[in-house]
Amino acid sequence: MSATNTKTELRSTGSKDKTARRIFIILFLALPLLHLLIFSYVPIIGNFVVSFTNWKGFGDLEFIGLRNYKKLFSNTEYISMFKNCLWYLLAAIPQLIFAFFLAVVINGKFRGLNVFKGILILPYLLNGVIVSTIFIIFFQNNGSLNAILDTIGLHGLTHKWLQDLKLVNPAIASISIWRYYGMNFIMFFGALQTIPTELYEAAVIDGCTKMQEIRYISIPFIKKVLFINIILSISGSIQVFEIPYIMMNGSNGTLTPVIQIQQSMYDNRVGFAAALSVLVFVIVLIVIGLQRLLVKDD
Amino acid sequence: MIYESPLYKVVRYVFLVLASIFVLIPLIPLVFMAFKTGAEYSATSVLTPPANWLNFYNFKYAINVGHLFKAFLTTAVILVISLTLQILFTCMVSYVLHRFDFRGKKVVQTAFTLTMFIPVVATQTLVFRMMYAAKLVNTMWSVVILYAGVGIVGIYIMLNLLDNVTREIDEAAWIDGASYFKTFWTIVFPLMRPACTTLLIIQGIALYNDFYIPNLYLNSNVQTFTVALYKFYGSMSTPFEIVSAAILIGMIPILIVFICLQKYIYNGIAAGAVKM
Repeated sequence: MSATNTKTELRSTGSKDKTARRIFIILFLALPLLHLLIFSYVPIIGNFVVSFTNWKGFGDLEFIGLRNYKKLFSNTEYISMFKNCLWYLLAAIPQLIFAFFLAVVINGKFRGLNVFKGILILPYLLNGVIVSTIFIIFFQNNGSLNAILDTIGLHGLTHKWLQDLKLVNPAIASISIWRYYGMNFIMFFGALQTIPTELYEAAVIDGCTKMQEIRYISIPFIKKVLFINIILSISGSIQVFEIPYIMMNGSNGTLTPVIQIQQSMYDNRVGFAAALSVLVFVIVLIVIGLQRLLVKDD
Repeated sequence: MIYESPLYKVVRYVFLVLASIFVLIPLIPLVFMAFKTGAEYSATSVLTPPANWLNFYNFKYAINVGHLFKAFLTTAVILVISLTLQILFTCMVSYVLHRFDFRGKKVVQTAFTLTMFIPVVATQTLVFRMMYAAKLVNTMWSVVILYAGVGIVGIYIMLNLLDNVTREIDEAAWIDGASYFKTFWTIVFPLMRPACTTLLIIQGIALYNDFYIPNLYLNSNVQTFTVALYKFYGSMSTPFEIVSAAILIGMIPILIVFICLQKYIYNGIAAGAVKM
Protein backbone atom coordinates (compact mmCIF):
# COMPACT_ATOMS: atom_id res chain seq x y z
CA MET A 1 0.00 0.00 0.00
CA SER A 2 1.99 2.86 -1.35
CA ALA A 3 0.10 5.76 0.14
CA THR A 4 0.11 4.76 3.78
CA ASN A 5 2.79 4.59 6.41
CA THR A 6 2.91 4.46 10.15
CA LYS A 7 3.32 8.21 10.52
CA THR A 8 -0.07 8.99 9.04
CA GLU A 9 -1.95 9.25 12.32
CA LEU A 10 -3.86 12.44 12.86
CA ARG A 11 -3.08 14.38 16.00
CA SER A 12 -5.41 13.46 18.81
CA THR A 13 -7.59 16.45 19.50
CA GLY A 14 -8.27 15.49 23.07
CA SER A 15 -11.98 16.11 22.78
CA LYS A 16 -12.29 12.76 20.99
CA ASP A 17 -12.26 9.81 23.30
CA LYS A 18 -10.69 6.53 22.36
CA THR A 19 -13.94 4.59 22.31
CA ALA A 20 -15.57 6.77 19.68
CA ARG A 21 -12.49 6.38 17.55
CA ARG A 22 -12.41 2.63 17.94
CA ILE A 23 -16.12 2.29 17.18
CA PHE A 24 -15.68 4.40 14.04
CA ILE A 25 -12.79 2.26 12.75
CA ILE A 26 -14.59 -1.01 13.47
CA LEU A 27 -17.83 0.23 11.93
CA PHE A 28 -16.12 1.30 8.72
CA LEU A 29 -14.09 -1.89 8.30
CA ALA A 30 -16.55 -4.53 9.53
CA LEU A 31 -18.67 -5.18 6.45
CA PRO A 32 -15.92 -5.01 3.80
CA LEU A 33 -13.70 -7.28 5.90
CA LEU A 34 -16.51 -9.73 6.50
CA HIS A 35 -17.17 -9.82 2.75
CA LEU A 36 -13.50 -10.45 2.10
CA LEU A 37 -13.39 -13.25 4.62
CA ILE A 38 -16.57 -15.02 3.47
CA PHE A 39 -16.15 -14.70 -0.28
CA SER A 40 -12.37 -14.85 -0.72
CA TYR A 41 -10.49 -16.41 2.18
CA VAL A 42 -12.94 -19.03 3.43
CA PRO A 43 -13.55 -20.50 -0.06
CA ILE A 44 -9.89 -20.45 -1.09
CA ILE A 45 -8.83 -22.25 2.09
CA GLY A 46 -11.91 -24.46 2.01
CA ASN A 47 -10.97 -25.52 -1.52
CA PHE A 48 -7.80 -27.13 -0.20
CA VAL A 49 -9.78 -29.21 2.29
CA VAL A 50 -12.57 -30.13 -0.14
CA SER A 51 -10.06 -31.04 -2.88
CA PHE A 52 -9.04 -34.10 -0.82
CA THR A 53 -12.65 -35.36 -0.65
CA ASN A 54 -15.27 -36.58 -3.07
CA TRP A 55 -17.83 -34.08 -1.76
CA LYS A 56 -20.93 -33.75 -3.92
CA GLY A 57 -21.98 -30.38 -2.57
CA PHE A 58 -24.16 -31.91 0.14
CA GLY A 59 -23.76 -34.65 2.75
CA ASP A 60 -20.61 -35.56 4.66
CA LEU A 61 -17.01 -35.08 3.61
CA GLU A 62 -15.32 -38.35 2.71
CA PHE A 63 -11.56 -38.01 2.40
CA ILE A 64 -10.06 -39.75 -0.64
CA GLY A 65 -6.50 -38.45 -0.40
CA LEU A 66 -4.88 -37.30 -3.62
CA ARG A 67 -7.29 -39.10 -5.94
CA ASN A 68 -8.72 -35.88 -7.46
CA TYR A 69 -5.26 -34.58 -8.24
CA LYS A 70 -4.15 -37.93 -9.67
CA LYS A 71 -7.16 -37.88 -11.97
CA LEU A 72 -6.21 -34.38 -13.14
CA PHE A 73 -2.68 -35.36 -14.05
CA SER A 74 -3.37 -38.75 -15.58
CA ASN A 75 -6.33 -38.06 -17.87
CA THR A 76 -5.21 -36.74 -21.28
CA GLU A 77 -8.41 -34.73 -21.67
CA TYR A 78 -7.57 -32.76 -18.53
CA ILE A 79 -3.95 -32.28 -19.51
CA SER A 80 -5.00 -30.99 -22.92
CA MET A 81 -7.11 -28.25 -21.39
CA PHE A 82 -3.94 -26.79 -19.87
CA LYS A 83 -2.31 -27.09 -23.27
CA ASN A 84 -5.23 -25.10 -24.70
CA CYS A 85 -4.28 -22.26 -22.36
CA LEU A 86 -0.92 -22.06 -24.13
CA TRP A 87 -2.67 -20.91 -27.32
CA TYR A 88 -4.11 -17.97 -25.38
CA LEU A 89 -0.69 -17.23 -23.94
CA LEU A 90 0.75 -17.28 -27.46
CA ALA A 91 -1.95 -14.88 -28.68
CA ALA A 92 -0.94 -12.47 -25.91
CA ILE A 93 2.40 -11.78 -27.61
CA PRO A 94 1.06 -10.07 -30.77
CA GLN A 95 -1.68 -8.56 -28.60
CA LEU A 96 0.81 -6.77 -26.32
CA ILE A 97 3.06 -5.67 -29.21
CA PHE A 98 0.08 -4.28 -31.13
CA ALA A 99 -1.27 -2.51 -28.03
CA PHE A 100 2.12 -0.99 -27.27
CA PHE A 101 2.71 0.50 -30.71
CA LEU A 102 -0.86 1.72 -30.83
CA ALA A 103 -0.32 3.54 -27.53
CA VAL A 104 2.91 5.05 -28.82
CA VAL A 105 1.38 6.47 -32.00
CA ILE A 106 -1.81 7.69 -30.34
CA ASN A 107 0.21 9.54 -27.69
CA GLY A 108 0.39 12.85 -29.54
CA LYS A 109 -1.78 15.56 -31.00
CA PHE A 110 -3.02 15.20 -34.56
CA ARG A 111 -6.18 15.48 -36.62
CA GLY A 112 -8.61 12.61 -36.17
CA LEU A 113 -7.14 11.61 -32.81
CA ASN A 114 -10.51 11.32 -31.08
CA VAL A 115 -12.09 9.36 -33.93
CA PHE A 116 -9.29 6.79 -33.77
CA LYS A 117 -9.48 6.69 -29.98
CA GLY A 118 -13.20 6.00 -30.26
CA ILE A 119 -12.86 3.18 -32.77
CA LEU A 120 -9.90 1.54 -31.11
CA ILE A 121 -11.53 1.33 -27.68
CA LEU A 122 -14.68 -0.33 -29.05
CA PRO A 123 -13.76 -4.01 -28.47
CA TYR A 124 -12.90 -3.29 -24.84
CA LEU A 125 -16.48 -2.12 -24.26
CA LEU A 126 -18.18 -5.24 -25.63
CA ASN A 127 -19.14 -8.20 -23.47
CA GLY A 128 -18.19 -11.82 -24.04
CA VAL A 129 -21.50 -12.84 -25.59
CA ILE A 130 -21.32 -10.05 -28.15
CA VAL A 131 -17.69 -10.82 -29.00
CA SER A 132 -18.46 -14.53 -29.33
CA THR A 133 -21.35 -13.88 -31.71
CA ILE A 134 -19.27 -11.50 -33.78
CA PHE A 135 -16.61 -14.16 -34.20
CA ILE A 136 -19.00 -16.99 -34.90
CA ILE A 137 -20.16 -14.90 -37.84
CA PHE A 138 -16.50 -14.32 -38.66
CA PHE A 139 -15.25 -17.92 -38.45
CA GLN A 140 -18.28 -20.04 -39.46
CA ASN A 141 -18.09 -21.94 -42.72
CA ASN A 142 -20.00 -19.35 -44.73
CA GLY A 143 -18.66 -16.54 -42.51
CA SER A 144 -16.76 -13.37 -43.27
CA LEU A 145 -13.24 -14.79 -43.06
CA ASN A 146 -13.89 -17.42 -45.71
CA ALA A 147 -15.88 -14.92 -47.78
CA ILE A 148 -13.00 -12.45 -47.68
CA LEU A 149 -10.48 -15.15 -48.61
CA ASP A 150 -12.71 -16.19 -51.51
CA THR A 151 -13.12 -12.61 -52.70
CA ILE A 152 -9.39 -11.94 -52.83
CA GLY A 153 -8.80 -15.21 -54.64
CA LEU A 154 -7.28 -17.26 -51.83
CA HIS A 155 -9.75 -20.17 -52.02
CA GLY A 156 -6.99 -22.51 -50.88
CA LEU A 157 -6.84 -20.86 -47.47
CA THR A 158 -10.51 -21.26 -46.59
CA HIS A 159 -11.14 -23.74 -43.79
CA LYS A 160 -13.82 -25.03 -41.50
CA TRP A 161 -12.21 -22.97 -38.74
CA LEU A 162 -14.46 -24.06 -35.88
CA GLN A 163 -14.73 -27.74 -36.79
CA ASP A 164 -11.16 -28.55 -37.72
CA LEU A 165 -9.62 -29.92 -34.51
CA LYS A 166 -6.21 -28.53 -35.41
CA LEU A 167 -7.47 -25.04 -36.17
CA VAL A 168 -10.23 -24.41 -33.65
CA ASN A 169 -8.00 -23.54 -30.67
CA PRO A 170 -5.66 -21.16 -32.49
CA ALA A 171 -8.70 -19.60 -34.19
CA ILE A 172 -10.63 -18.84 -31.03
CA ALA A 173 -7.49 -17.94 -29.07
CA SER A 174 -6.72 -15.29 -31.70
CA ILE A 175 -10.04 -13.64 -30.81
CA SER A 176 -8.50 -12.60 -27.51
CA ILE A 177 -6.11 -10.34 -29.44
CA TRP A 178 -9.10 -8.40 -30.78
CA ARG A 179 -10.96 -8.49 -27.52
CA TYR A 180 -8.29 -7.65 -24.97
CA TYR A 181 -5.68 -5.47 -26.69
CA GLY A 182 -7.79 -2.44 -25.71
CA MET A 183 -7.13 -2.95 -22.01
CA ASN A 184 -3.36 -3.17 -22.56
CA PHE A 185 -3.53 -0.24 -24.95
CA ILE A 186 -5.22 2.05 -22.42
CA MET A 187 -2.79 1.03 -19.68
CA PHE A 188 0.23 1.69 -21.90
CA PHE A 189 -1.30 4.96 -23.04
CA GLY A 190 -1.86 6.06 -19.43
CA ALA A 191 1.73 5.21 -18.55
CA LEU A 192 3.14 6.99 -21.62
CA GLN A 193 1.26 10.13 -20.66
CA THR A 194 3.23 10.34 -17.43
CA ILE A 195 6.48 10.80 -19.38
CA PRO A 196 7.50 14.48 -19.29
CA THR A 197 7.48 16.05 -22.78
CA GLU A 198 10.90 17.63 -22.09
CA LEU A 199 12.44 14.20 -22.54
CA TYR A 200 11.03 13.92 -26.05
CA GLU A 201 12.04 17.49 -26.86
CA ALA A 202 15.59 16.73 -25.77
CA ALA A 203 15.53 13.59 -27.93
CA VAL A 204 14.48 15.62 -30.97
CA ILE A 205 17.28 18.14 -30.35
CA ASP A 206 19.75 15.26 -30.08
CA GLY A 207 18.49 13.96 -33.42
CA CYS A 208 16.97 10.70 -32.20
CA THR A 209 14.83 8.65 -34.55
CA LYS A 210 11.36 7.59 -33.43
CA MET A 211 12.57 4.03 -32.86
CA GLN A 212 15.43 5.30 -30.68
CA GLU A 213 12.93 7.39 -28.73
CA ILE A 214 10.80 4.30 -28.10
CA ARG A 215 13.82 2.22 -27.20
CA TYR A 216 15.54 4.68 -24.85
CA ILE A 217 12.66 6.77 -23.42
CA SER A 218 9.25 5.09 -23.75
CA ILE A 219 10.14 1.49 -22.87
CA PRO A 220 12.39 2.21 -19.84
CA PHE A 221 9.88 4.73 -18.49
CA ILE A 222 6.87 2.44 -18.59
CA LYS A 223 8.73 -0.79 -17.82
CA LYS A 224 6.62 -1.48 -14.75
CA VAL A 225 3.34 -1.20 -16.63
CA LEU A 226 4.71 -3.35 -19.47
CA PHE A 227 5.59 -5.98 -16.92
CA ILE A 228 2.19 -5.83 -15.21
CA ASN A 229 0.53 -6.38 -18.58
CA ILE A 230 2.68 -9.40 -19.33
CA ILE A 231 1.78 -10.87 -15.94
CA LEU A 232 -1.92 -10.10 -16.43
CA SER A 233 -1.79 -11.90 -19.78
CA ILE A 234 -0.18 -14.97 -18.28
CA SER A 235 -2.59 -15.18 -15.34
CA GLY A 236 -5.47 -14.38 -17.70
CA SER A 237 -4.64 -17.20 -20.08
CA ILE A 238 -4.99 -19.81 -17.34
CA GLN A 239 -8.43 -18.35 -16.50
CA VAL A 240 -9.87 -18.30 -20.04
CA PHE A 241 -13.58 -18.97 -19.94
CA GLU A 242 -16.01 -16.83 -21.88
CA ILE A 243 -15.05 -17.21 -25.54
CA PRO A 244 -14.59 -21.03 -25.66
CA TYR A 245 -17.60 -21.51 -23.35
CA ILE A 246 -20.01 -19.28 -25.26
CA MET A 247 -18.82 -20.17 -28.76
CA MET A 248 -18.10 -23.87 -28.36
CA ASN A 249 -19.37 -24.87 -24.90
CA GLY A 250 -15.93 -26.41 -24.45
CA SER A 251 -16.58 -28.94 -27.23
CA ASN A 252 -14.26 -29.87 -30.12
CA GLY A 253 -11.26 -29.95 -27.81
CA THR A 254 -11.67 -26.34 -26.65
CA LEU A 255 -12.10 -27.16 -22.97
CA THR A 256 -10.30 -24.89 -20.49
CA PRO A 257 -9.76 -25.38 -16.74
CA VAL A 258 -12.43 -22.83 -15.77
CA ILE A 259 -15.05 -24.39 -18.07
CA GLN A 260 -14.23 -27.75 -16.50
CA ILE A 261 -14.58 -26.28 -12.98
CA GLN A 262 -18.06 -25.06 -13.82
CA GLN A 263 -19.11 -28.32 -15.47
CA SER A 264 -17.88 -30.35 -12.49
CA MET A 265 -19.80 -28.05 -10.14
CA TYR A 266 -22.99 -28.64 -12.09
CA ASP A 267 -22.29 -32.40 -12.11
CA ASN A 268 -22.01 -32.34 -8.29
CA ARG A 269 -18.32 -33.27 -8.47
CA VAL A 270 -17.44 -30.47 -6.06
CA GLY A 271 -14.33 -32.23 -4.73
CA PHE A 272 -12.86 -32.48 -8.21
CA ALA A 273 -13.85 -28.88 -9.05
CA ALA A 274 -12.09 -27.79 -5.84
CA ALA A 275 -8.89 -29.61 -6.81
CA LEU A 276 -8.89 -27.93 -10.21
CA SER A 277 -9.58 -24.56 -8.53
CA VAL A 278 -6.60 -25.12 -6.24
CA LEU A 279 -4.42 -25.78 -9.27
CA VAL A 280 -5.58 -22.61 -11.05
CA PHE A 281 -5.08 -20.64 -7.82
CA VAL A 282 -1.55 -21.97 -7.34
CA ILE A 283 -0.58 -21.11 -10.92
CA VAL A 284 -1.92 -17.55 -10.57
CA LEU A 285 -0.19 -17.26 -7.18
CA ILE A 286 3.16 -18.24 -8.67
CA VAL A 287 2.82 -15.89 -11.65
CA ILE A 288 1.76 -12.83 -9.64
CA GLY A 289 4.14 -13.65 -6.80
CA LEU A 290 6.95 -13.72 -9.33
CA GLN A 291 5.95 -10.28 -10.56
CA ARG A 292 5.93 -8.83 -7.04
CA LEU A 293 9.35 -10.31 -6.31
CA LEU A 294 10.92 -9.11 -9.55
CA VAL A 295 9.46 -5.62 -9.26
CA LYS A 296 10.74 -5.27 -5.68
CA ASP A 297 14.25 -6.19 -6.76
CA ASP A 298 14.15 -3.53 -9.41
CA MET B 1 4.64 20.90 -29.45
CA ILE B 2 7.10 18.16 -30.27
CA TYR B 3 8.51 18.07 -33.77
CA GLU B 4 7.46 15.03 -35.77
CA SER B 5 9.01 14.06 -39.08
CA PRO B 6 6.67 13.93 -42.10
CA LEU B 7 7.51 10.26 -42.55
CA TYR B 8 6.41 9.50 -39.00
CA LYS B 9 3.13 11.34 -39.57
CA VAL B 10 2.39 9.21 -42.63
CA VAL B 11 3.38 5.98 -40.90
CA ARG B 12 1.16 6.89 -37.96
CA TYR B 13 -1.91 7.38 -40.15
CA VAL B 14 -1.30 4.18 -42.08
CA PHE B 15 -0.92 2.23 -38.86
CA LEU B 16 -4.04 3.75 -37.29
CA VAL B 17 -6.16 3.17 -40.38
CA LEU B 18 -5.04 -0.46 -40.57
CA ALA B 19 -5.75 -0.90 -36.85
CA SER B 20 -9.23 0.59 -37.30
CA ILE B 21 -9.93 -1.80 -40.17
CA PHE B 22 -8.79 -4.67 -37.94
CA VAL B 23 -11.32 -3.55 -35.31
CA LEU B 24 -14.21 -2.85 -37.66
CA ILE B 25 -14.05 -5.78 -40.10
CA PRO B 26 -15.58 -8.39 -37.77
CA LEU B 27 -18.26 -5.88 -36.72
CA ILE B 28 -19.54 -4.91 -40.18
CA PRO B 29 -21.23 -8.23 -41.11
CA LEU B 30 -23.06 -8.11 -37.76
CA VAL B 31 -24.57 -4.74 -38.65
CA PHE B 32 -25.50 -5.99 -42.14
CA MET B 33 -27.08 -9.10 -40.72
CA ALA B 34 -29.32 -7.26 -38.28
CA PHE B 35 -31.16 -5.61 -41.19
CA LYS B 36 -31.51 -8.70 -43.40
CA THR B 37 -34.57 -10.90 -43.70
CA GLY B 38 -34.21 -14.60 -42.93
CA ALA B 39 -34.39 -15.55 -46.61
CA GLU B 40 -31.89 -12.85 -47.50
CA TYR B 41 -29.48 -14.10 -44.82
CA SER B 42 -29.43 -17.62 -46.24
CA ALA B 43 -29.22 -16.44 -49.85
CA THR B 44 -26.53 -13.75 -49.64
CA SER B 45 -22.92 -13.61 -48.49
CA VAL B 46 -22.24 -12.15 -45.04
CA LEU B 47 -20.31 -9.39 -46.78
CA THR B 48 -23.30 -8.25 -48.84
CA PRO B 49 -25.11 -5.22 -47.39
CA PRO B 50 -28.82 -5.67 -46.66
CA ALA B 51 -31.31 -4.87 -49.42
CA ASN B 52 -33.39 -2.67 -47.14
CA TRP B 53 -31.68 -0.66 -44.37
CA LEU B 54 -35.08 0.16 -42.89
CA ASN B 55 -36.02 -3.43 -42.15
CA PHE B 56 -36.52 -3.24 -38.37
CA TYR B 57 -38.36 -6.56 -38.08
CA ASN B 58 -35.39 -8.27 -36.39
CA PHE B 59 -35.12 -5.56 -33.77
CA LYS B 60 -38.83 -5.73 -32.92
CA TYR B 61 -38.69 -9.51 -32.76
CA ALA B 62 -35.59 -9.45 -30.51
CA ILE B 63 -37.18 -7.00 -28.08
CA ASN B 64 -40.44 -8.94 -27.85
CA VAL B 65 -39.08 -12.47 -27.64
CA GLY B 66 -35.75 -12.02 -25.88
CA HIS B 67 -37.14 -10.27 -22.79
CA LEU B 68 -34.36 -7.80 -23.38
CA PHE B 69 -36.10 -4.89 -21.75
CA LYS B 70 -36.65 -6.81 -18.54
CA ALA B 71 -33.03 -7.94 -18.60
CA PHE B 72 -31.86 -4.35 -19.01
CA LEU B 73 -33.92 -3.34 -16.03
CA THR B 74 -32.52 -6.16 -13.89
CA THR B 75 -28.98 -5.23 -14.92
CA ALA B 76 -29.62 -1.59 -14.05
CA VAL B 77 -30.99 -2.46 -10.61
CA ILE B 78 -28.09 -4.82 -9.87
CA LEU B 79 -25.52 -2.28 -11.01
CA VAL B 80 -27.00 0.66 -9.10
CA ILE B 81 -27.19 -1.23 -5.80
CA SER B 82 -23.87 -3.04 -6.03
CA LEU B 83 -21.84 -0.12 -7.40
CA THR B 84 -23.20 2.19 -4.70
CA LEU B 85 -22.24 -0.31 -2.02
CA GLN B 86 -18.86 -1.11 -3.54
CA ILE B 87 -17.84 2.52 -3.97
CA LEU B 88 -19.06 3.48 -0.52
CA PHE B 89 -17.23 0.56 1.08
CA THR B 90 -14.06 1.34 -0.87
CA CYS B 91 -14.15 4.96 0.34
CA MET B 92 -14.73 3.86 3.94
CA VAL B 93 -11.91 1.32 3.98
CA SER B 94 -9.49 3.66 2.23
CA TYR B 95 -10.31 6.55 4.56
CA VAL B 96 -9.68 4.48 7.66
CA LEU B 97 -6.46 2.99 6.25
CA HIS B 98 -5.19 6.37 5.15
CA ARG B 99 -6.01 8.48 8.18
CA PHE B 100 -5.84 6.22 11.24
CA ASP B 101 -3.33 4.02 12.99
CA PHE B 102 -4.76 1.14 14.93
CA ARG B 103 -3.84 -2.32 16.12
CA GLY B 104 -4.21 -4.85 13.30
CA LYS B 105 -3.88 -2.26 10.54
CA LYS B 106 -1.08 -4.22 8.86
CA VAL B 107 -3.26 -7.34 8.87
CA VAL B 108 -6.17 -5.48 7.28
CA GLN B 109 -3.92 -3.98 4.61
CA THR B 110 -2.37 -7.34 3.81
CA ALA B 111 -5.78 -9.03 3.68
CA PHE B 112 -6.94 -6.62 0.98
CA THR B 113 -3.64 -6.69 -0.92
CA LEU B 114 -3.53 -10.48 -1.07
CA THR B 115 -6.88 -10.65 -2.88
CA MET B 116 -5.03 -9.90 -6.09
CA PHE B 117 -3.69 -13.44 -5.82
CA ILE B 118 -7.14 -14.96 -5.55
CA PRO B 119 -8.88 -15.43 -8.90
CA VAL B 120 -12.68 -15.17 -8.61
CA VAL B 121 -13.05 -18.34 -10.68
CA ALA B 122 -11.10 -20.32 -8.07
CA THR B 123 -13.47 -19.37 -5.23
CA GLN B 124 -16.86 -20.03 -6.80
CA THR B 125 -16.88 -23.79 -6.14
CA LEU B 126 -17.60 -23.13 -2.48
CA VAL B 127 -19.21 -19.70 -2.77
CA PHE B 128 -21.84 -21.32 -4.98
CA ARG B 129 -22.59 -23.87 -2.24
CA MET B 130 -22.91 -21.01 0.30
CA MET B 131 -25.26 -19.05 -1.94
CA TYR B 132 -27.22 -22.21 -2.58
CA ALA B 133 -27.54 -22.93 1.14
CA ALA B 134 -28.63 -19.33 1.72
CA LYS B 135 -31.26 -19.78 -1.03
CA LEU B 136 -29.81 -16.84 -2.97
CA VAL B 137 -29.13 -18.71 -6.22
CA ASN B 138 -31.48 -17.48 -8.97
CA THR B 139 -32.09 -14.23 -7.13
CA MET B 140 -30.30 -11.03 -8.05
CA TRP B 141 -29.02 -10.73 -4.47
CA SER B 142 -26.32 -13.36 -5.03
CA VAL B 143 -24.86 -11.22 -7.79
CA VAL B 144 -25.35 -7.95 -5.90
CA ILE B 145 -23.55 -9.33 -2.85
CA LEU B 146 -20.61 -10.64 -4.86
CA TYR B 147 -20.26 -7.36 -6.75
CA ALA B 148 -20.32 -5.28 -3.54
CA GLY B 149 -16.86 -6.43 -2.43
CA VAL B 150 -13.96 -4.00 -2.12
CA GLY B 151 -11.15 -4.52 -4.63
CA ILE B 152 -7.51 -3.61 -4.28
CA VAL B 153 -7.38 -1.42 -7.40
CA GLY B 154 -10.21 0.67 -5.98
CA ILE B 155 -8.34 1.10 -2.71
CA TYR B 156 -5.21 2.22 -4.58
CA ILE B 157 -7.18 4.81 -6.51
CA MET B 158 -8.75 6.16 -3.31
CA LEU B 159 -5.51 6.20 -1.29
CA ASN B 160 -3.87 8.10 -4.08
CA LEU B 161 -6.56 10.75 -4.00
CA LEU B 162 -6.48 11.00 -0.19
CA ASP B 163 -2.76 11.82 -0.42
CA ASN B 164 -3.87 15.07 -1.99
CA VAL B 165 -6.56 15.89 0.58
CA THR B 166 -4.84 17.64 3.45
CA ARG B 167 -5.33 16.28 6.95
CA GLU B 168 -5.89 19.77 8.27
CA ILE B 169 -9.39 19.62 6.85
CA ASP B 170 -10.24 16.67 9.08
CA GLU B 171 -8.59 18.27 12.08
CA ALA B 172 -10.40 21.58 11.65
CA ALA B 173 -13.72 19.71 11.56
CA TRP B 174 -12.87 17.83 14.75
CA ILE B 175 -11.91 21.01 16.57
CA ASP B 176 -15.28 22.41 15.55
CA GLY B 177 -16.79 19.40 17.35
CA ALA B 178 -17.76 17.26 14.36
CA SER B 179 -17.81 13.50 15.00
CA TYR B 180 -15.56 11.14 13.05
CA PHE B 181 -18.53 10.01 11.04
CA LYS B 182 -19.73 13.52 10.29
CA THR B 183 -16.21 14.58 9.27
CA PHE B 184 -16.02 11.73 6.80
CA TRP B 185 -19.52 12.06 5.43
CA THR B 186 -19.83 15.84 5.05
CA ILE B 187 -16.23 16.87 4.46
CA VAL B 188 -13.89 14.17 3.15
CA PHE B 189 -16.32 11.98 1.18
CA PRO B 190 -17.45 14.83 -1.12
CA LEU B 191 -13.78 15.55 -1.86
CA MET B 192 -13.29 11.93 -2.94
CA ARG B 193 -15.74 12.31 -5.80
CA PRO B 194 -13.22 12.35 -8.68
CA ALA B 195 -11.81 9.00 -7.55
CA CYS B 196 -15.35 7.67 -7.15
CA THR B 197 -16.07 8.62 -10.77
CA THR B 198 -12.97 6.75 -11.92
CA LEU B 199 -13.95 3.65 -9.98
CA LEU B 200 -17.55 3.95 -11.17
CA ILE B 201 -16.43 3.91 -14.81
CA ILE B 202 -13.97 1.03 -14.46
CA GLN B 203 -16.33 -1.13 -12.43
CA GLY B 204 -19.43 -0.03 -14.35
CA ILE B 205 -17.98 -1.30 -17.63
CA ALA B 206 -16.60 -4.45 -16.02
CA LEU B 207 -19.82 -5.40 -14.24
CA TYR B 208 -22.16 -4.49 -17.10
CA ASN B 209 -20.14 -6.80 -19.31
CA ASP B 210 -19.56 -9.54 -16.74
CA PHE B 211 -20.81 -12.93 -17.84
CA TYR B 212 -19.22 -15.45 -15.48
CA ILE B 213 -21.00 -14.52 -12.24
CA PRO B 214 -24.52 -13.84 -13.58
CA ASN B 215 -24.35 -16.93 -15.78
CA LEU B 216 -23.43 -19.03 -12.76
CA TYR B 217 -26.04 -17.61 -10.38
CA LEU B 218 -28.94 -16.48 -12.54
CA ASN B 219 -30.53 -19.20 -14.58
CA SER B 220 -34.26 -18.81 -14.77
CA ASN B 221 -36.49 -15.78 -14.66
CA VAL B 222 -33.97 -13.24 -13.33
CA GLN B 223 -31.31 -12.47 -15.93
CA THR B 224 -28.80 -9.75 -16.59
CA PHE B 225 -28.43 -8.52 -20.14
CA THR B 226 -25.39 -10.68 -20.92
CA VAL B 227 -27.15 -13.82 -19.68
CA ALA B 228 -30.38 -13.00 -21.54
CA LEU B 229 -28.37 -12.52 -24.70
CA TYR B 230 -26.57 -15.82 -24.12
CA LYS B 231 -29.81 -17.76 -23.52
CA PHE B 232 -31.28 -16.14 -26.56
CA TYR B 233 -28.33 -17.11 -28.68
CA GLY B 234 -27.85 -20.52 -27.14
CA SER B 235 -31.30 -21.71 -28.11
CA MET B 236 -30.92 -23.17 -31.57
CA SER B 237 -34.27 -21.88 -32.71
CA THR B 238 -33.17 -18.24 -32.68
CA PRO B 239 -32.08 -17.18 -36.17
CA PHE B 240 -28.76 -15.40 -36.46
CA GLU B 241 -30.20 -12.20 -37.92
CA ILE B 242 -32.35 -11.80 -34.80
CA VAL B 243 -29.36 -12.37 -32.51
CA SER B 244 -27.45 -9.72 -34.45
CA ALA B 245 -30.25 -7.23 -33.91
CA ALA B 246 -30.33 -8.07 -30.18
CA ILE B 247 -26.60 -7.45 -29.98
CA LEU B 248 -26.84 -4.07 -31.67
CA ILE B 249 -29.52 -3.15 -29.15
CA GLY B 250 -27.19 -4.28 -26.36
CA MET B 251 -24.41 -2.08 -27.70
CA ILE B 252 -26.53 1.08 -27.54
CA PRO B 253 -26.25 1.82 -23.79
CA ILE B 254 -22.53 1.20 -23.71
CA LEU B 255 -21.98 3.40 -26.76
CA ILE B 256 -24.06 6.22 -25.28
CA VAL B 257 -22.11 6.01 -22.03
CA PHE B 258 -18.90 5.92 -23.99
CA ILE B 259 -19.69 8.94 -26.18
CA CYS B 260 -20.59 10.96 -23.09
CA LEU B 261 -17.66 9.83 -20.99
CA GLN B 262 -14.86 9.10 -23.50
CA LYS B 263 -12.41 11.43 -21.77
CA TYR B 264 -13.14 9.95 -18.35
CA ILE B 265 -12.90 6.39 -19.61
CA TYR B 266 -9.42 6.91 -21.05
CA ASN B 267 -8.17 8.89 -18.07
CA GLY B 268 -9.94 6.76 -15.49
CA ILE B 269 -8.75 3.39 -16.70
CA ALA B 270 -5.28 4.71 -17.35
CA ALA B 271 -5.13 6.18 -13.84
CA GLY B 272 -6.28 2.92 -12.29
CA ALA B 273 -3.78 0.96 -14.32
CA VAL B 274 -0.75 3.08 -13.53
CA LYS B 275 -1.42 2.78 -9.80
CA MET B 276 -1.27 -1.01 -9.75
